[in-house]
Amino acid sequence: MSILDDRLSSAHALSQRQATKPRSGPPIRRAIQDFLLSDYFVLYLTLFFFITAAIFFPSLRNPGNIANQLQNMWPLLAVAIGQTFVLILGGIDLSVGATMGITSVVGAIVMAQTLDPSFFDRSPLWGTLMRPEGGVLAGSEWAVPVGVVVMLVTGTLIGFLNGYAITRFNLAPFMVTLVTSTFFAAFALWLTQSRNISGLPEAFLNLGKGDILSIYLGPKLTSDIARRDILSFITYPFVISVGLAFISQFLLSRTVFGRQMFSIGTNRRASEISGVPGKSVITRVYMFSGFCAAVASIMYSGRIGFGQPSLGGGNLLLDVIGAAVIGGTSLFGGKGSVRGTFFGVAFFVLLSNILNAMQLSPFVIDAVKGVIILLAALIDITRTRLINREQRV
Amino acid sequence: MKRFSRKISLVLFLALVVFPLTFTIVSAQEDITICFGFQDLETEFWVAGHRAITDTLREQGVEVLEYNANEDPNRQLEQIRECIAQGVDGIIIIPQDGDSAVTIINEAQAADIPIAVFNRPPNDLSRGITVVADNVSATEQAVEFIAQKALRQYEITGEPITPLILVGALQDTNAIGRRDGFYNVINRYNERYPGLFNTPIEVATEWDAATALANLEAAITANPNVDFIFTSSDFLFPTIRSVLEPRGMWQPMGTPGHVLLAGLDGDATACMLIDEGYVDGTGVQNLFLEAQLTLDRILQAVAAGETQPNEVLLDPGFALTAGNIHFQRSDMWGCVLYDEGFLNQ
Repeated sequence: MSILDDRLSSAHALSQRQATKPRSGPPIRRAIQDFLLSDYFVLYLTLFFFITAAIFFPSLRNPGNIANQLQNMWPLLAVAIGQTFVLILGGIDLSVGATMGITSVVGAIVMAQTLDPSFFDRSPLWGTLMRPEGGVLAGSEWAVPVGVVVMLVTGTLIGFLNGYAITRFNLAPFMVTLVTSTFFAAFALWLTQSRNISGLPEAFLNLGKGDILSIYLGPKLTSDIARRDILSFITYPFVISVGLAFISQFLLSRTVFGRQMFSIGTNRRASEISGVPGKSVITRVYMFSGFCAAVASIMYSGRIGFGQPSLGGGNLLLDVIGAAVIGGTSLFGGKGSVRGTFFGVAFFVLLSNILNAMQLSPFVIDAVKGVIILLAALIDITRTRLINREQRV
Repeated sequence: MKRFSRKISLVLFLALVVFPLTFTIVSAQEDITICFGFQDLETEFWVAGHRAITDTLREQGVEVLEYNANEDPNRQLEQIRECIAQGVDGIIIIPQDGDSAVTIINEAQAADIPIAVFNRPPNDLSRGITVVADNVSATEQAVEFIAQKALRQYEITGEPITPLILVGALQDTNAIGRRDGFYNVINRYNERYPGLFNTPIEVATEWDAATALANLEAAITANPNVDFIFTSSDFLFPTIRSVLEPRGMWQPMGTPGHVLLAGLDGDATACMLIDEGYVDGTGVQNLFLEAQLTLDRILQAVAAGETQPNEVLLDPGFALTAGNIHFQRSDMWGCVLYDEGFLNQ
């Protein structure tokens, strides 16, 4: 392993040297190249986008709006981090939405404090895990911690199934994850007979929307401050997602496991010949993606206030993959970072905010998002081409 | 490289400067701003409802911020929070389901902004303005009409009638009300005329035409002797037709093999099919009345400075059938649209 580690470190160092090598040509061209090839390209773009749009739409720079957009980022960031890992491998995880749905349901089945028989008496779990008195641990002080653990374990197990099927049977990742997505989405609907499970404990709801530190900007003219004037600043979702981001970045950039992922994403066969345990790494990455989807599910379910079998449906997958790709993660594998995904998520959330502020037809907004993702993919290809050209020079 | 830079610059220029500038210039500065959050407009009912609300508001000089949540309750919550941050005067939503409606109403009321829920009621009716059709009553009226036809058929042939219901997504209280209305009539007739109806066949649709198609195909293949179909929403009539027609079961009234058909909503397709004799009747939600009730009440709350108005406004609905279409045609929103050429657009 140490020889392999040395090889991977050498490759990493070489790419770092290439990236920091002084560029040739006229100053303006060098500046454009530096801008395009910078790790902070998306951040610059996001800031430029925000400042320009805020001139035309003052509501965008309203502190309440900024606080809102930050809150919208955290669950999306969690699930996008998992997808980033999978994309770095050269894979794709289409099952994250369904994983969120099923984990939301199993968590609610553990924690629900009451269940309406007229809603759930046709559920296959009625009378066993679901009763009129609530879920498995209704009323217990252990309901929330156990519910959260069950959600995380379920997500991780679905990831294991994906990874195992992909590596054991050499199936295409998109096919395997599409199948698991369809299966678990249907399974969640079947378990609940397509009903949402409400009545979750307050402690769980706080994981989705609870404030740790709120702020009020403005003069204190009355003894009461309206709730809408109090801005969420540090929330539980913020702590969870940022914590996950730091751990993920550490895994990616400071561990052998991270370097093995990049190596497999660049060339799986060569990596395995060099001693990288491809099957194990791929399986663990899909498990991590399932885990991240479960983390996002905790935040989304807590925020909306119920276990939702259809959670993660609709266009969420577009947002997740879009944020990762905009953040510089390559769809062809071997390239990506948690920092880039963070910027991508920020860009994506801001983009939605601006498109809404522009009062574009709601029917046009998703089309515009799709075009932006396509542009991001084209920019990514061009950047890769430029980097390769630089390396040849 | 230069060519690429020029392209990128052009795209950024268009995205960042031209679009915002255009929209800033054209957007009017009205005094009242209403946020309207809805789901995908997949059926004629929602298209017509969306049009009725937005057109009427704009005609009254109200600025409307429109948000489509694409059937995602979490996204709708984010959008409503965005509306609140922008300081809108009032909010109208078509929620995805009754549970998320409760969460969103709480969010709006906590920010002291009046909110109205159009047509898809929250599970807790005690908060917010809720405008809703009486689904049970409208369904009962429509199903009653074809139950009477079924009874006449039973009296002639002596063969029990096999009913089938296409059930909506059951997290939606509208779907529950419609299923309840259907069973109320079936059970009532079975008590009065034992043996009239076999056990109804339930087909899940999740309010999705593709799901409905797959499940209805399976149900009709397993039970080819279905005599009577009730769809919880009229938008599924084309789906029903595509399943029945190849089996020779899509026949107009008075023709041997006609399957008794009823629905609910009162859309343009239902109107056309009643005209043509394929559909026997439909429960009608008075869409125009519901839209007007919603707008009047939310604007009244805004004008009066009411921040947390709580009220349920009920649309009783009615049944439009082959028997009364000639004199009640103009009351059905779908017939109004149909006569305006809506289906030809």
